[in-house]
Amino acid sequence: MSEVDMAVIKPEMMKSYIWIQTLDGAIQQVEQEVAMFCPMICQEAIHKGMGSSKNCAVSLPQRVSPAMFSLILDYCRFHQVPGRSNKVSTQFWHFICSLLALHLELLVHRSSRRWNSRGIGQLTLVCSFVKERKSFDEKFVRMDTKRLCELTSAADSLQLKPLVDLTSRALARIIEGKTPEEIREIFHLPDDLTEEEKLEPLKNTTDDPRIRLLNRLYAKKRKELKEREKLKDVEAEEDHVDDRSVDDLLSFINGGEVLLVVSNLDDNYCKVECESLAGLKPYWKQEIFFSDSKGIKTSKNKKKHRKRKDLQKCAPSNEAIETHKKESNTVSSLCHNVGVDQKLKSSLGETLKLQDAADEVFAPTVEFDDVDIDDEIDPALKEEIDREVEDFARILNSDWPERMQELLSLGQERRPTHLSVNGNGALKGHGSMPSFPLSWAEMNIPVWILSQTANGWNNFDQIVIQNRPLSLTPELDETGEIFIHVQRQMFLSSEWHFCRL
Amino acid sequence: MDTELDRISSLPGHVLDQILSVLPIRDAVKTSSLSSKWRYKWSHIPHLVFDTQCASITSEDQTTVKNKLVSIIDHVLLLHNGPIYKFKLSHRDLLGVSDIDRWILHLSRGSTKEFVLEIWKGQRYRLPSCLFSFENLIHLELFNCLLKPPSAFKGFRNLKSLHLQHVTLSLEAFENLISRCALLERLTLMNFDGLTHLKINAPNLQFFDVGGVFDDVSFENTLLLTQVTIALYENVKNDQNVCRRSSSKLLSFFVNLPHIRRLKLHNYFLKNLAMSKIPSTLPKSWVDLNYISIHINFNDFEESSVAFCLLKSCPNLQEIEMLGRPEEQAVVKPLTGCWGDDNWKSLFGQLRQVKIAGISGTRSELDCIKFLLSNSPVLEQMTVRPAPNEGGLELVKELLRFRRASILAEVIYMEP
Repeated sequence: MSEVDMAVIKPEMMKSYIWIQTLDGAIQQVEQEVAMFCPMICQEAIHKGMGSSKNCAVSLPQRVSPAMFSLILDYCRFHQVPGRSNKVSTQFWHFICSLLALHLELLVHRSSRRWNSRGIGQLTLVCSFVKERKSFDEKFVRMDTKRLCELTSAADSLQLKPLVDLTSRALARIIEGKTPEEIREIFHLPDDLTEEEKLEPLKNTTDDPRIRLLNRLYAKKRKELKEREKLKDVEAEEDHVDDRSVDDLLSFINGGEVLLVVSNLDDNYCKVECESLAGLKPYWKQEIFFSDSKGIKTSKNKKKHRKRKDLQKCAPSNEAIETHKKESNTVSSLCHNVGVDQKLKSSLGETLKLQDAADEVFAPTVEFDDVDIDDEIDPALKEEIDREVEDFARILNSDWPERMQELLSLGQERRPTHLSVNGNGALKGHGSMPSFPLSWAEMNIPVWILSQTANGWNNFDQIVIQNRPLSLTPELDETGEIFIHVQRQMFLSSEWHFCRL
Repeated sequence: MDTELDRISSLPGHVLDQILSVLPIRDAVKTSSLSSKWRYKWSHIPHLVFDTQCASITSEDQTTVKNKLVSIIDHVLLLHNGPIYKFKLSHRDLLGVSDIDRWILHLSRGSTKEFVLEIWKGQRYRLPSCLFSFENLIHLELFNCLLKPPSAFKGFRNLKSLHLQHVTLSLEAFENLISRCALLERLTLMNFDGLTHLKINAPNLQFFDVGGVFDDVSFENTLLLTQVTIALYENVKNDQNVCRRSSSKLLSFFVNLPHIRRLKLHNYFLKNLAMSKIPSTLPKSWVDLNYISIHINFNDFEESSVAFCLLKSCPNLQEIEMLGRPEEQAVVKPLTGCWGDDNWKSLFGQLRQVKIAGISGTRSELDCIKFLLSNSPVLEQMTVRPAPNEGGLELVKELLRFRRASILAEVIYMEP
């Protein structure tokens, strides 16, 4: 009966209003077509006769705050079809609802005969209108997550299904692809699960105890790092001078606060560089040279590697990184090689190779401890090193594009590889595949990867990790090694690379 | 940091289910490690979709891939708690393994409404009989499967949509399936083995799409059918004895589809229709038909006649699409006379769009175009695209000459 009323009233009144009372007690008038778009208001108005005057205004449910209500009204105002006839029938409302759910099929099948005979012309009009709706929808849901959640809740209580669908999809897009930590941060969820509970059935990492161990340790490490960061903020004023001995350097590394950038030069050495985690600027840099020109070293290294392997199994504390070569050039000790310095002067212009260490993962902290540094470095070298560092720091501090230019201009064979890894991850070189740690979330550190193909180094890519982290989840391959997928950003190529941890 | 309110966890359950359902299954399961409230939220999602992205397995070894996938699905199914309304399994590397039987059995104990199974590689997977006991099934989609319903199968009472592609099933099973699913509204059948004469007996059917190799399609009791697409992929054998039978296929086709709105007769089906007696007109018009698309060999007299008869019986056509399907013939005799009928006085009063493609400029084709142009008073656009390596100035010259009944008509010649 009320529909008939509406049908009769409509032609007579140009615009009719419904009175609605919001949570804060204010009563406002809303155009009828707009308000009727919400099924809940529609029900109240038609079945209970509310809303016709100020006294019996429709009161909104609790979950609809005034701000949200105005947003919803905007949505309704846009989405209601501009009235094409003055007669408001239930069939017409059905049409609008199905249309606005972007289900054109419904239009064909369920709409009344009246609409069918209008033919294709109407459909195309509808289609273009639908496209406008889509872009409106996309802009509409661009808001912070808190408001999005509120909006979803409000739309649900008003039974406005199209808006609920829209906001749910938007929320799902936010959740998709992110790690649990990120999601927790975005939505302010309490982190109140024990470590074991967290490791319970996630799809890929169910059985292997090694992975569970790793996960646990990563999580622990991350917590520690966060705490240290907090402490560091307090100490940020202290001046950092680059004149520490390498010992200090190493202990600093061991403290787990550094980011190592490892770059490999050619066979005889590799260069290790450190950046800090706190803040996004280089905290301090030092280059450590590794080389293996002495046989003794090699054997020592080999022993160390074995040790490392064992150590890794129990404590991959992942503070520092090393790369490691198979067979010929094992790298672990600090050594000085004058030839290196020369090359270093054109710092970024060196040939680099990634190590191929298929089986070994590093426990770098331990490794550094074992290294005999003292007898290798003499003061003269240290000065050189300091100079290199400054040089390098300057270079690294310059802008990305310039760096890219430099790198790109340096011909094919002589390209740097810098593998930066944060304290959370272990880096291992593997043939043409560099490896990466699990989470970069805190980092804004550029990473360069040089990939080795059969023809030598003729390609290099770069991952610029912005604040938006990559979603990296460890997986198992057939040999039981842990793999993660890393997507290379577009600079030169964009393919998936598999990295071993 | 001030403690912000955790708003998302307090959203109502069905909204959270909706959010989680939209996520890929991987992300949805990962939310179990978010916080204590979220531990089991994912286990209520009603849609489980396992496709190629859900488990990006990098190994090359088939066994590992299979094992991993199986283990993932086992875990999810076991941990899932609540009704599963939609289940989709479509992983690229999944062969027809016997584990699928187990999962289908698990699902059959619940109330699955949508079931999609796509076996990308390997042999046709034989579906277990427990699939046929899915009481609440509304949508069934199978790719590369073998169906053998048990003899006691009473049909899917609630099935509305059936999509079978690359399937094998016997004729009897098919007929039983269709006739016992009384609510069936959509039927899609592509590339099947074992079916020769398709008899469709479905009172609620609205959408029908078949593409494959068969002998015949016949409809019975399909008064609600509005969209039909039939594509016969293989050339009909030119068996002179069989055709010219007394009843006309076109007529029987017509009788059972009175309310059809969109019709597509593709590949060789028109030829199939033409292999029987061709009436000059149909008894009543197909008044609801507003879109027709046919693949036609213009140089074949029978086919052209069938098409002509067809078109004459559809006064309310709004859009026509005719795609030439040239066949190698010994002699291409110039055909005239199919496309003109002085007795036919009505017009295509609503025809607005015509698309003609794949022609080479023969007399018969031009006659057809002429016929359409001169009988469509409201025509807005006719697009003519010749076949590759055909066309050219001669065709254009002829097109230019034709009289047009519509002053709004645009005749657009497109490059082959």
